[in-house]
Amino acid sequence: MKATRFAALLIVVLVVAASSVTTNARMQSERTLAGEWLVTSSPINGETASPRGNTLGFPDRDMFFEENGDLRTGVVLREDAGPNVRPLGVWRINGNRFSTTFQLWCPDSNGPCGSIVMRGEFVRDDRIRGTMTAFFDVEDPRSPTGFDMWTFAFKGDLVAPAGTGAAQRAR
Amino acid sequence: MAILVSTMKRQRAVLIALALVLASATPAFGATKFDGRWTLTITIPESAASGNNRTFTVSVDASPRDGSLHGRTTIADAEGHTVGGAWRQVSKKVSVTYELPCTGDGPCATLILTGKIKSSGTKIRNGKVMVVWDTANDHNPALFDTSNGSFKGDRVQ
Repeated sequence: MKATRFAALLIVVLVVAASSVTTNARMQSERTLAGEWLVTSSPINGETASPRGNTLGFPDRDMFFEENGDLRTGVVLREDAGPNVRPLGVWRINGNRFSTTFQLWCPDSNGPCGSIVMRGEFVRDDRIRGTMTAFFDVEDPRSPTGFDMWTFAFKGDLVAPAGTGAAQRAR
Repeated sequence: MAILVSTMKRQRAVLIALALVLASATPAFGATKFDGRWTLTITIPESAASGNNRTFTVSVDASPRDGSLHGRTTIADAEGHTVGGAWRQVSKKVSVTYELPCTGDGPCATLILTGKIKSSGTKIRNGKVMVVWDTANDHNPALFDTSNGSFKGDRVQ
């Protein structure tokens, strides 16, 4: 009788443990950038510009991400720079980590331009952190890519999840 | 009077010549726009640490920018994966950036492609690729491994 009770108890414990693992795994795989994020950036080791003197400054960035099947797109609303300033990008996610890349917005065609790559992780479902690197289209033989680049830190908070009214503003 | 008529005729000839030059220049400029469908052949290292290269082709469908500085693309590989990308263009210089589709345990990366459209508007040659791998590297200014590659492009239509 005792053996039967113990076996039943063991089964219950195993089922609960398995369901907990499944839930955690699902939470991991369900991380998404879809929605509106307010992203702030800061220098690393006091470096406020690239080795060639290029910089983006440290404005707050209002970033919108959408997911439509395998097409994961992003747009930055830079209302501080102008109502129609909308740098475009894309993103992907791998468990707790994500990568996004954007084109830089360069209205002065005579000045340097480039692309941004963000690499980060989820602190929580609604908080991210990581680093951004600007890859400028300015040659720099000292750089491993041969082009000027500059890395800085960022953190972001989810302002509005996907599908909410605020997140629709970027459409 | 004869001098006035002669001057007017000369001015008309100059205007006609100018109009012809403008008319012929406009399609040439339009032809170098990146909008439309391209096949890009990309060569990059197999991974951050690999000395071997791999070459693959992707089909790019670049949407018009509609007056913006940036446009969107869809990028499909030979394995049937389709992802999004973003592009910009100044004169004949084009930049396309996208995330490689990550499959299995293989290395994953972000690609930044820069190249110049030939005057014909149908080819990009000697394009450069910057690869930003997912593997962290404290010794690289990007804090991740980077590599260089190359690409060429051919307009499909």
